[in-house]
Amino acid sequence: MIVPLERPGLSSLAPLLGIAAVSLAFAWHISVGARSIPLHVVVEALLSYDPALFDHVVVVDLRLPRALLAALVGAALAVAGALMQGVTRNPLAEPGILGLLVGASFAVVVVVGVFDLTSPTLIPLVAAVGAVLAAGAVWGIAAAAPGGAAPLTLILAGAAVMAFLAALVTVASLLDEQTFEQLRVWMTGSLAGAQNEVLKWALPWFGAGLIVALAVARQVTALAMGEETAIGLGTDVVRLKALSLFAVVALTAAAVALAGPMGFVGLVVPHAVRLLVGQDYRRIVPWSALAGAGYLLVIDVVARLLLAPVEISTGLVTALIGAPIFVWLVRTRL
Amino acid sequence: MRLKCSTAQYDEPVEQRDAPRLQLRDASVGYGGAPIVRNVSLDVPDGALTVLVGPNGSGKSTLMKAMARVLRLDAGNILLDGRPIGQLPTRQVARRLALLPQGPVAPEGLRVRELVAQGRFPHQSLLRQWSRRDADAVEAAMEAADVAQFAERPVSDLSGGQRQRCWIAMVLAQETGLLLLDEPATFLDLKVQVDLMQLLRRIAKQEGRTVVVVLHELNVAAAFADHLVMMQDGRIRAEGCVDAVFNAANLAKVFGLDATVVRDPVSGRPVCVPRVEPAVLHTPRIAAE
Amino acid sequence: MTTAGMFSRLDGPVSFALPLRALAVLGLLLGLCCVLLIVSLMAGSYPLGALDVVATLTGRPPSEMAQTVVWQFRFPRTLAALAAGALLALSGAALQNVTRNPLADPSLVGVSQGAGLAVVAAIVVWPDLPQALRPLLAFGGALAVAALIQGIAMRRTGGATMRFILTGIGIAAFISALTSAFLTYGQIDRAVSALGWLAGSVHAAGWSEAGMLAGTLLCLVPALFAASRPMAAMRMGQDVAVGLGLKVGRTRAALITLSVALAASAVAMVGPLGFVGLVAPHIAHRLARSGVGLHLALSAAAGAALVGAADLVGRVAFAPVQIPAGLVTAILGVPIFVWLILRTQARPA
Ligand SMILES: Nc1ncnc2c1ncn2[C@@H]1O[C@H](COP(=O)(O)OP(=O)(O)OP(=O)(O)O)[C@@H](O)[C@H]1O
Ligand SMILES: [Mg+2]
Repeated sequence: MIVPLERPGLSSLAPLLGIAAVSLAFAWHISVGARSIPLHVVVEALLSYDPALFDHVVVVDLRLPRALLAALVGAALAVAGALMQGVTRNPLAEPGILGLLVGASFAVVVVVGVFDLTSPTLIPLVAAVGAVLAAGAVWGIAAAAPGGAAPLTLILAGAAVMAFLAALVTVASLLDEQTFEQLRVWMTGSLAGAQNEVLKWALPWFGAGLIVALAVARQVTALAMGEETAIGLGTDVVRLKALSLFAVVALTAAAVALAGPMGFVGLVVPHAVRLLVGQDYRRIVPWSALAGAGYLLVIDVVARLLLAPVEISTGLVTALIGAPIFVWLVRTRL
Repeated sequence: MRLKCSTAQYDEPVEQRDAPRLQLRDASVGYGGAPIVRNVSLDVPDGALTVLVGPNGSGKSTLMKAMARVLRLDAGNILLDGRPIGQLPTRQVARRLALLPQGPVAPEGLRVRELVAQGRFPHQSLLRQWSRRDADAVEAAMEAADVAQFAERPVSDLSGGQRQRCWIAMVLAQETGLLLLDEPATFLDLKVQVDLMQLLRRIAKQEGRTVVVVLHELNVAAAFADHLVMMQDGRIRAEGCVDAVFNAANLAKVFGLDATVVRDPVSGRPVCVPRVEPAVLHTPRIAAE
Repeated sequence: MTTAGMFSRLDGPVSFALPLRALAVLGLLLGLCCVLLIVSLMAGSYPLGALDVVATLTGRPPSEMAQTVVWQFRFPRTLAALAAGALLALSGAALQNVTRNPLADPSLVGVSQGAGLAVVAAIVVWPDLPQALRPLLAFGGALAVAALIQGIAMRRTGGATMRFILTGIGIAAFISALTSAFLTYGQIDRAVSALGWLAGSVHAAGWSEAGMLAGTLLCLVPALFAASRPMAAMRMGQDVAVGLGLKVGRTRAALITLSVALAASAVAMVGPLGFVGLVAPHIAHRLARSGVGLHLALSAAAGAALVGAADLVGRVAFAPVQIPAGLVTAILGVPIFVWLILRTQARPA
């Protein structure tokens, strides 16, 4: 029997509307700042750049990178979270559970605290390396366990490594207030300090991660129905898991390098998306990318506007605003 | 209640009480929206095997869950021993009525014996955690469902049919007068299906217990049922002893099935043979374009 | 159940059957707790011999100092550590059973975050607050957030577990973000002090804390063990549990309330000591297989031993600097846990 795939509650216009909304958020993000720039100037600057105009320079050189950053980090974390939840079949899974976020924090704390390196281009690199190493450790433990890297083993190993590194980070913070002071804001996740250079080398990883995520999405849907069903549907489960994990690590490492360990987006945006578009990862993955990007753009604007001229750490605002919305979604949709 | 048309070639039902233990009075039930099962009235005959058949999605499981007070009624009444089932203490109900839901999932790692032992839950208390009687009931249930040889293995390691038999053993261990089994025969090979139905029939006949079973295999249903209930679209379309209900007209009405009903010369039970369109049987394969 | 490998009594008004191996493991864990207690009483800046400790405990202290050190400081503190570990482990085990999710722990019901927010906010906003009020604040915060999550998640029926988990995630994230905001934008010295409390530490525990924890343990634990059979039925899934005569909604609410109470009282005394609640039940699963009731006992013993050892190590390792027990719990517990993962097949709750 062939059943047409209906999008629950969404018309075929929805993707277009989604892209339009994210573009609008993008333009809004650029227009807001110490000097407010009208939306049409933003669009002009993006479409026909004129270096002679001051506003255009501000838009392209100063604000565009940060807007891009917010969109990329949001999309990356949301997609990584969606994949993690699909592959482990556990709603509590998130990119952080592979130890990626704590790994980044730990590496940064060690480098800043022990070697006293504070170069703004180095920290992102250190964060990314820390994230990947931690994920490697988690995977190593899970794979070495009898029965192989079953979802439960993976999650438990991740939780263990996470707790371990988080404890070490706290010990370091307690023993060395200086470092803690320096890193306080970074550790909540912030879009303020990122460098264009970092953006450049994070971009390919982000792209690769997203492409792989989109490519495996169909099979993740099958995997979400159980490993055996997935194999029955012709999925190479081992390869699928490896690819998904690659995507998760690439996306999260890129995000953590750009914005520090930002928690909430990867855990909650995929759930919100799932409540809205259903259980098919062919829809969940692209919608998570859109929702994550749009969400973080809006949040970043709010973070800057809320107590202007003081800027609140974006990582905090994501949860403070997003959590009530999410709880409302759960209540009305589930 | 007496079965209206038990004929000589069937076993006589054991002596009946006046009112059946389980009665449905205009029961309507659903999942929060419009009722799925509407205005169903049914007297479940005691000491007999009642089989519920119907197409997929016709509301059999919904009705079963309502009879086991898993779902709350939207309207009407279900009486257990004359009293509305929703008003009885749930523990007391569990000592009188056992339910095997469709497609239950055992916690991973649980062993067969532990699964079956769960059936003793309603008989236990804080002080009586595990008694001789519990142990005996579990042994007997495992014996009856033929899973004793797997007793120490994890349920998740068993085949689909073996697993199904473990769940049946759990329900048997509950030692209730009423048994509601939702598709207990799925995954079972024909021989085991027949064994199971014989076991259920024996329970009904010899121990006077009341058994309600959802089945998809029409001929198995016809071969073993004392009482046959045909459901379609949330309603009972036909009900009665097999001879009265199991005929081509009803099969066409309820299942949309074009079948001939013949009689098994040995048991005298009706058997349905689906009519296959001659075109399908005889047309030569059409050459591909 | 067969009586082979079982410690059983099948006839009479009180009847039960318990697996021998699990009982043996339980005995070992309890022994370990006793050893930890003795060693904790011996070790520290004023070292005492085992005989001195025994003498002090039996009322014949070798010196005034020994009397003070053992009875005033080390004994209540160690007792508090053991009791807090047991309480958190029990809470985690109960939650993992109720939600059928192996990742559940006291932070899922918002207990840790609620306590954390209440105390951190107090430390940052109102630094003159007497220390003695912290447990009260923590307890209140824990209960308030737990009640909020329950209130939001419990109002409708169907799919209750998933809604409960997701609501927990959402509210917990919100509360944690608030706490982070206080930590990030509060004054640095206060933030550091709050950070220490957040890590979970027993070093301030005296007799009143220890007594309170032990009291809770004695009051609530029987209730939890009484609930172990319903918990076992609950694990079979909703429909089967109803069929077995369980009031599923009421049981779930009762069990969650119980685990909230267990965790909240522990967190009130020693701070949001993480990781024990998550990991102790898994350690118990992997040490010996058992029914739900015995598994609870094993979890409690494992949790107690873990936190007891963590407190000892955190106190002695870098003396005079004391590392909060919560941190050492993770640093110490993770290698043990990883070793268990590598040794045994996953046997989820
Ligand atoms: N949990 C539920 N929530 C909402 N609707 C449900 C639920 N379970 C079943 N239904 C709907 O109720 C109707 C009857 O379902 P039911 O499970 O009773 O059918 P059934 O006769 O047992 O079918 P089958 O032979 O396939 O088991 C179906 O249309 C189904 O979609
Ligand atoms: Mg059904």
